[in-house]
Amino acid sequence: MAKTEAPARTKINYLTALKEAIFEEFERDADLVGMGEDIGLLGGAFGVTDGLLDKFGRDRVFDMPISEAAIVGTACGLCLNGKKVMVEMQFIDFISCGFDQIVNMTATYHYRTAGEVSMPMVIRGPAGGYGGGALYHSQMNEAWFANSPGLKIVCPSTPADAKGLLKSAFRDPNPVMVYEMKELYRRRDIEEEVAVGDDAIVPIGKARVRREGDDVTIVTYGNNVYHALAAADNLASEGFSAEVVDIRSLVPLDEATIKESLAKTNRLVVVNEAPRTCGFAGEILARLAEEAFELLDAPPMRVTRLDTPVPWVKPLETFVLPSVDKITETALRACRY
Amino acid sequence: MRTGKPEDASDNVPQRPSAKLGVQDYKELLNQLYLARYFDVRLIKEKKRGRLKGTLYSSHNQEAVIVGSLFGLQPTDWISPIHRDMPAFFMKDFRSGWRNPERLGMSIQEVCAQVWGRTGSPGRARDNWSHIGSRRAHIVHSTSMLAGTIPAAAGVVLADRLRGENTVALTYNGEGSTAQGVFHEAINFAAVHKLPLVTIIENNHWAYGTPTELEYSQRDFARRADGYGIPGLIADGQDVLDVYDKVMEAVEHARSGQGPSIVECKTFRAYGHGDHDDDRAAKYRPKDEVEDGRKRDPIAVMKEQMVKLGYMTKAEAAMFAAENKGAGEVTDADFPPEVVAYMNEGVEFAVAQPEPPAEEGGMWVFAEGE
Ligand SMILES: Cc1ncc(C[n+]2csc(CCOP(=O)(O)OP(=O)(O)O)c2C)c(N)n1
Ligand SMILES: [Mg+2]
Repeated sequence: MAKTEAPARTKINYLTALKEAIFEEFERDADLVGMGEDIGLLGGAFGVTDGLLDKFGRDRVFDMPISEAAIVGTACGLCLNGKKVMVEMQFIDFISCGFDQIVNMTATYHYRTAGEVSMPMVIRGPAGGYGGGALYHSQMNEAWFANSPGLKIVCPSTPADAKGLLKSAFRDPNPVMVYEMKELYRRRDIEEEVAVGDDAIVPIGKARVRREGDDVTIVTYGNNVYHALAAADNLASEGFSAEVVDIRSLVPLDEATIKESLAKTNRLVVVNEAPRTCGFAGEILARLAEEAFELLDAPPMRVTRLDTPVPWVKPLETFVLPSVDKITETALRACRY
Repeated sequence: MRTGKPEDASDNVPQRPSAKLGVQDYKELLNQLYLARYFDVRLIKEKKRGRLKGTLYSSHNQEAVIVGSLFGLQPTDWISPIHRDMPAFFMKDFRSGWRNPERLGMSIQEVCAQVWGRTGSPGRARDNWSHIGSRRAHIVHSTSMLAGTIPAAAGVVLADRLRGENTVALTYNGEGSTAQGVFHEAINFAAVHKLPLVTIIENNHWAYGTPTELEYSQRDFARRADGYGIPGLIADGQDVLDVYDKVMEAVEHARSGQGPSIVECKTFRAYGHGDHDDDRAAKYRPKDEVEDGRKRDPIAVMKEQMVKLGYMTKAEAAMFAAENKGAGEVTDADFPPEVVAYMNEGVEFAVAQPEPPAEEGGMWVFAEGE
């Protein structure tokens, strides 16, 4: 039977990929509503929801008052009563104002009702540093939520993963937090062709090996995937081959893929732009030290933000955040240990 | 007193909703007051005998707020009770029959199983005391965060509205919790969208060990409603009929699409904040204030009105003398037998239930499947 070729898709950026996921899932599921500050008339601070209000109307898209607690809390009530909700945080930094509603109301709902009520809520928003956003527009606060049982957490680094993970998040019966990398929203050199509909789905809880190598495993996610890939180039010129694993999902964490890689490389470096103390890098390190100690030929190492806020001007920001140089240096230490 | 609606500036509304109530309604209301009181004193006694764990937040002297506010609701309306409103969980939709299994409220068995920490609890005793709820019964699951459940109450009625259903949500909050930021956020949002949300403030004048003057400066709390462009009503929280009237006015306002209201019910906390606090409360609360606050027992207030209307004789009113007595003084004989029997059914069910198996502590963190 002759198959008609699907028309070749043009490459799209990370932001367009997110947008496609949102429009496709709003189309697919009439129970899905969106809530956030300026997401309707304006189309979102970054334009991720541009056109959503026109297409789906005021009963599906809510421009909310500046009330992060009420946004999450109302979403919680909607989920309790049969709806599914996409919550947009204008910046992930502001999520602290809705913290109680996320960790005490939403995350615990299924547990405290012994499974009677699930919370099909997606909380997404622009996150991460490297853009000069300063203290309150640069954060990676995912560890707060990884420490709150009941929440799934994903952090995509490519357009395909952005679309695929967001679509999975919408279909998950649990609250899922999507850390979008705003510095990747419009980055040209990562644009790619992305599938449409169900073909675009990327399952939550599966890591992806971004580059294969034999000497050291660099485990990371989000912005730092690109720093790790550049560091792997540096390592190659020093004669070491690095494997780069993008975990993509923090909760649940695909430990199997990391262990498989370690079985080959026997060296582990974890990179993450949150502060060092109690950041998610520490969790990955701890788990593998516990469960894969025999696979390690060198101490597992971390490259993280310093234990500081994220400062504004470039030299300061660069000083505190992980960088290609810092990753290269640490990975070399691991290789030469 | 009313604010926010100048045309209603007096209490003499020509048709008080309670004017339509008949003698049977009065008797039912009085029985419900007895039941709420009996539930409370029985738990206090069980706790004193060491049969219960956890903290008991007594609703003694505040029963008229619970009974009067629930009385006129439709079965599918939502409620969102908090720690001091335990009776509300099983009294919701009592109009459908106390023992009607189809009733959209919890059974006394479920509520007692919860208090005893047994598997028959709606949440399988995973969280304590008032921290239960039921999607089926349209009761928002309560948490510790006081005003923190008001946004969820706004959400459930928003979901109903989006489906074309006209339900109202009643939220219960102590006056202390109105100082929380989330209280403002939720009422503001509900006002913007004219959501059918009625916020009942149970003003018992104390938030744990802090008096109202250290919680907020607007003495007539309902006037805060002005700031949201919504009506604020004040009810005598000792008078079940006045609570019924004011709440019904707010409920009808909500059901007709005009949006939220705040109903402040002025009452007084009979004991300490929780039973762990009884001794200290005796020190931080002035004695005369406590005596004054307890003077108007809601059961006595209701009886007085019934006698005046000829709905009961003085002798009948004296028959079950539960009013003006502390939990230590009152006995089963002070309550109508049907009230005691109803509670007994709950207790018997609860004590026959096992505690949940230990491994359930690790279950239900996440929901499975799509
Ligand atoms: C967010 C939060 N802060 C503090 C507490 C502890 N706490 C529980 S009840 C209470 C007092 C509440 O007073 P009020 O709202 O007036 O209700 P009442 O107990 O008088 O009925 C306090 C401080 C809590 N449960 N949640
Ligand atoms: Mg109080």
